[in-house]
Amino acid sequence: MSFLVPGAAFLALTLPAIVALYFLRIRRPTRIVPALNLWPDEIRDRQANVPWQRIRFSWLLLLQLLGAAILVAAAVQPALSAGTSLARHSVVLLDVSASMQARDVTPSRLDVAKNQIGALIDQMGSQDRMTLLSVGSTPRIIASVVGDRQALHRALDQMSATNGQADLSAALTLAAGLVRPGDDARAYFFGDGIVGPLRTDSANGLPFAAEYHRVGVSSENVGLTSLVVRAGAQSRAGFLHLQNFGQQARSISLEWRADGRLVDVRPLTLAGGQAEDLVLPVPADATLVSAHAVTSDVFALDDTVSAIARAPRQFRVLLVTAGNVFLEQALRLRSDIQLDVVAPAAYRPSASYAMSIFDRFSPHALPDGPLVLLDPPPNTALAGGPAIGIGRTRATDAGDPLLTNVDLRDVHIARSQDLRASTFGRPLITSLQTPLVLVRDEPFRQVLFGFDLHESDLPLRIAFPILVENLSEWMLPPSVPSHSSHPDEPVTIVPETGATSVTVIRPDGGRRPLAGNAIATFGDTDLTGLYTVEQLVAGSVRKSWFTVNLFSEQISQLKPAERLTLPPVNTAATVHALHRGQLEIWPWIALAALGIVVIEWLAFHRGL
Amino acid sequence: MAALLDPPLLRRLEALALQVRRSVSGRMGGERRSNARGRSVEFADYRNYTPGDDFRLIDWNAYARLDRYMLRLFVAEQELPLSIFVDLSGSMDWGNPNKAMTAKRLAGAIAYVALAALDRVRLTVFAEGPTSGGAPYRGRRAVADLFSRLDSFPVGGTTDYAKLVWPIGKQRPGMTVLISDGLGETSMDVATAALGRARQEGAVLQLLAPQEIAPDWTGDARLRDSETGAEREFTSTPLTQGAYLAALAVREQEIESSAHRHGLRYAQLSTDQPIDDMVLRTLRRLGLLS
Repeated sequence: MSFLVPGAAFLALTLPAIVALYFLRIRRPTRIVPALNLWPDEIRDRQANVPWQRIRFSWLLLLQLLGAAILVAAAVQPALSAGTSLARHSVVLLDVSASMQARDVTPSRLDVAKNQIGALIDQMGSQDRMTLLSVGSTPRIIASVVGDRQALHRALDQMSATNGQADLSAALTLAAGLVRPGDDARAYFFGDGIVGPLRTDSANGLPFAAEYHRVGVSSENVGLTSLVVRAGAQSRAGFLHLQNFGQQARSISLEWRADGRLVDVRPLTLAGGQAEDLVLPVPADATLVSAHAVTSDVFALDDTVSAIARAPRQFRVLLVTAGNVFLEQALRLRSDIQLDVVAPAAYRPSASYAMSIFDRFSPHALPDGPLVLLDPPPNTALAGGPAIGIGRTRATDAGDPLLTNVDLRDVHIARSQDLRASTFGRPLITSLQTPLVLVRDEPFRQVLFGFDLHESDLPLRIAFPILVENLSEWMLPPSVPSHSSHPDEPVTIVPETGATSVTVIRPDGGRRPLAGNAIATFGDTDLTGLYTVEQLVAGSVRKSWFTVNLFSEQISQLKPAERLTLPPVNTAATVHALHRGQLEIWPWIALAALGIVVIEWLAFHRGL
Repeated sequence: MAALLDPPLLRRLEALALQVRRSVSGRMGGERRSNARGRSVEFADYRNYTPGDDFRLIDWNAYARLDRYMLRLFVAEQELPLSIFVDLSGSMDWGNPNKAMTAKRLAGAIAYVALAALDRVRLTVFAEGPTSGGAPYRGRRAVADLFSRLDSFPVGGTTDYAKLVWPIGKQRPGMTVLISDGLGETSMDVATAALGRARQEGAVLQLLAPQEIAPDWTGDARLRDSETGAEREFTSTPLTQGAYLAALAVREQEIESSAHRHGLRYAQLSTDQPIDDMVLRTLRRLGLLS
């Protein structure tokens, strides 16, 4: 046992003070009574009747001394040594991802983890620092205080689970930034271990040791992990994938709705681990279809999924070229693009096109909006330097989403304009000699090719239509996205040309206005369900939609990780100076003192 | 007189009379039935004539039938000798309303009832010893003197019931009312026993102040006896007050049982009870007045 405020022991002087008060002679008022012999010979020796008499036993005096002693004991704040080892700086990471909503433990994984963290907070010493981090899609510092347990408890109480994934790597990086080298720190991760892949960018290791406290026991869950709407020859249909991630067979009832109306109900029985694919009808006039699995599993977030059923809105795209069959065919792969091909001589500026593509041609004034320039003629606004011979190409950043599934290994280019001095934007595809393709986001998403497609074998590669599809969707997102977004995943909102206001309506009805004249990244996608984008264009409201679904087999599996391989510890920067946590017991002692005082009061009034 | 009892109460008292269960034995004619045979209209008995008897009492009809002289005897109606003993010791000078003052007023009320009925009233106050209130009072004309004398007695001293034995013993059979708080050092039993031996019919009226019946204070105090001046330190708590009340109840029980044992009535009165309520309600219910 230790004492947090040993200096308060000076209050023990109250004990001799009480005894001294006892020795003060009582001054009794005189009362005349008719017959003294009727009054019992009873004197309560709460105070001395003769100064400095020999102290006599008194229950009241004993209770007063006992109460004072207990109050002094509470004032010095004794603390028992707790079972947990604590560092001077404890970094507590709480997993607030979607899987922590699972109720395989009562009341939920998150609540159980919060209870465990609450116990850890109670063991914190008055000089210890504790930093509380939430581990979600984006790690956040919830609190970082020294000794103030109440503040930590309040902050902990306000934490809630999100629908996103847990990015433990980002959280550990953030935690490492909070700890200076040489600090006595230790991290405690409370969660189910269902986290995103741990990055290895912490090559030097963490400056603190980290513990994993597993929460959760079961993986019995049936989840809907995919829903897409595809148009067939005659009609459209929804393709739903569901799986029983548990070990036991489960019977469920699947409800299929279109715009909230019940269309179909299918009873299903899934054996342990069994997956099922269903094809479900989509009414012609439906905007949103949703599937709901009526089941009694421990995780509800993946029991309901939704998808947009509307046919995508058509965009008019202008291609100005003297002839480029490769580009024309690649653009026509998008079903929502209505392509107009004109010769350079016939080009007239028009605001009715959502996107313009200029092949070996550059107008005097570039139109506002998404734009692709291929091999602009020399001496025009965006033209590069003199042509130079190229050869092999490569991606500037292999992880760039615009190059997803684009294989550039067999792509060769004969020559290209020298774009090294260009200020157009960032390079997307480059070579040893010069950047070949530049992209920019401001003021509009635009692309500059430095070479003529006919002087390259790129159009002959499978990478070409994929690259065109990626670039066109990046510049001109379809009104109905081809896939669902994940919770907390940013969604790019590209306003239509002439849009004066853009508003996103969330599944809970909340409206989020966006700037109408610029591309916006909408990140308020923590809720699953249907999001509606309303754009005011020339006085009319145009709607587009996107959905957010969990669609994560990793999360739906729910199986808590037995072990978690955390980044290595930088032993040079770690200080091993753990001390035992302290469990303060003074509130109970103070409560006992209050009880003693109450007993003393009762004893006094009952004349003991 | 007005200071002791107000005139409206006196008028109501005139309608009352002392109620005796036995015949009285007075020296003067009165309105009370006596054991002695005397002049009245109520026939009592016959007896043989002896020389010296009043020949006017010979029943000549009986002589005609029996040829013997027989005397007709009638019940004599005599006065009721009423003795009032009032405790004016130091313990009676206590309480609010004051016990001594209330005792004087109560004694005056009872005496007034007796005097209004032509009964003879003897007044005795006592503390350490008895003090006579003078010659017996009789008739309404004596009311003023009695009240004046009653009002003039000082209050103080210790209570000694044993010294009442002698004045009680020399009384003729009659009625006696003893007014006291019964809180003296000695037991009242010696006095009630003497009353029994003297064939006194009457009552013991124990007069207490409300502050004695239910003490209204707690805490530490130095108690001083109102009669002896003895002192004792004391702590009043619910527990010790309970012990006091128990001792008081024992004392009351002793006085009541002693009174009943010697043929006396007993009533406990509180000084906060109005005097007319004491007389008109309590003493009538007790059977002392009618």
